[in-house]
Amino acid sequence: MIWMDGALVSRGEAGVYGERVVRGHRVWDPYRSKLAAYYYLGGDVCLEPSMRVLYLGAAHGTTVSHVADYVEVVYAVENAYTPMRDLLAVALRRKNIIPLFADAAGPASYAPLVEEVDILFQDVAHPDQAGIARKNAPFIRRGGTALIVVKARSIDVTEKPADIVRDFSEEMESCGMPARRVIWLEPFHRDHAILECPRD
Amino acid sequence: MRSYWFGDIDRGECTPAASHDPEYLSRRLDGIGAAMESSFSPPDWESARDCGFVSSRGEYIRVLRDLCIHRAEKALAAIAGRPEQELVQMVHMRDQLDEAVNLVTEKALEWHAARSPEFSRKYRSLKGSRVRDVLLAEGSPRVKDIATGIVQLSEARAGLTREIEQLAGDVLPNCTALVGGVVAARILAAAGSLEDLARLPSGTVQVLGARTALFAHIRSGTPPPKHGIIYQDRRVHKAPRGRRGKVSRALAAKLAIAARIDFFRGERDDRFLDAARAAVERAGGGPGA
Repeated sequence: MIWMDGALVSRGEAGVYGERVVRGHRVWDPYRSKLAAYYYLGGDVCLEPSMRVLYLGAAHGTTVSHVADYVEVVYAVENAYTPMRDLLAVALRRKNIIPLFADAAGPASYAPLVEEVDILFQDVAHPDQAGIARKNAPFIRRGGTALIVVKARSIDVTEKPADIVRDFSEEMESCGMPARRVIWLEPFHRDHAILECPRD
Repeated sequence: MRSYWFGDIDRGECTPAASHDPEYLSRRLDGIGAAMESSFSPPDWESARDCGFVSSRGEYIRVLRDLCIHRAEKALAAIAGRPEQELVQMVHMRDQLDEAVNLVTEKALEWHAARSPEFSRKYRSLKGSRVRDVLLAEGSPRVKDIATGIVQLSEARAGLTREIEQLAGDVLPNCTALVGGVVAARILAAAGSLEDLARLPSGTVQVLGARTALFAHIRSGTPPPKHGIIYQDRRVHKAPRGRRGKVSRALAAKLAIAARIDFFRGERDDRFLDAARAAVERAGGGPGA
């Protein structure tokens, strides 16, 4: 990861969403991006130039654009109409983003398109986030990692976030991808955690 | 046999797709049965190269990206082409105009009152257009200016309402005939699309738009909501309290049927509409109750 004066940055064409640019580098804001917050908080599953990434819940393509600055290719899945228009606009300007207008809960629709990836990054607001991770696990190469944003508030607002993350870890363990590490995204994002689940 | 976007692989034998053309590849992809059996393995670019489909990694990504962009653009265009998308935006716009007109009118009136000590709202029924008339007649030049703007916005709102009625009448002829264009459009927006609406049971149609109350009911057993958006229909909100639930149930039942006629047949059915209106009337304690 590239750090400049204590700020996470990426190298690429600027002006995607009005991000700050310092000496030709795009500043990657941890308050806007959960993945950036993960690196600020000591996450060490780094993005390398040779990597392939499957990104579920690509939304408006802001975080995707930073990921694309680092890696070889990003498969970006989004299934809502409005954010997809923005994602497509970003993909048209970056040669290494493959936009997929599809539902991450039904990976069969993009299965013939997506190759084996080094990192699966999942940031979806869905009550069954663990099920989505399990269904998409076949795309991760052996030795690769799933980085899963657990949005406690999207799973059940009435339960304690810590309990939800514990249940989630257990669910991942039962499908053979136990969480190696849990990073809470405080103070950047409330009630969000990122789970590192390696696939062996 | 495994089918990938670039070709089919059958026991090590690979048949590449015939062309790099996104339209061709996209249609081919639509024909591939979507299933992820346990033996699924993702496509790899080396197979595509060995197949003779591409000659390099760069070309693989380029052709794949063109294909995916083409598919995404086509899917987005298909959604944008649905009239219900625009209808939903028109109803939002109308709500926003309402809010803006009310807010600006209120503030202009306060300003006007601040500089005219003799101004009082008492003993005159100052509502809507009357306020605008007062501002236009008595206000300072700037207030008059603003009042003119308000009048223009109200006219735009009236025009927009007519257009909503018209478009809703085209998209949802029976629902519109039953509850009017604006309410029909709101229900459509809450359901997502005409197809989704046509598939909803009437119990859901009844409480569309009452999400908070519904989930409070499911979670903690508060009384269930009797009505959602359909409360905005005159027959529901004008019904005596004890009958409101009954009326909204009857109206929702008929709306669910109307939505299905709209989706599958797409034309107005007057015989159904007469029967439906009569049923709602009966539920409200009207003739034949």
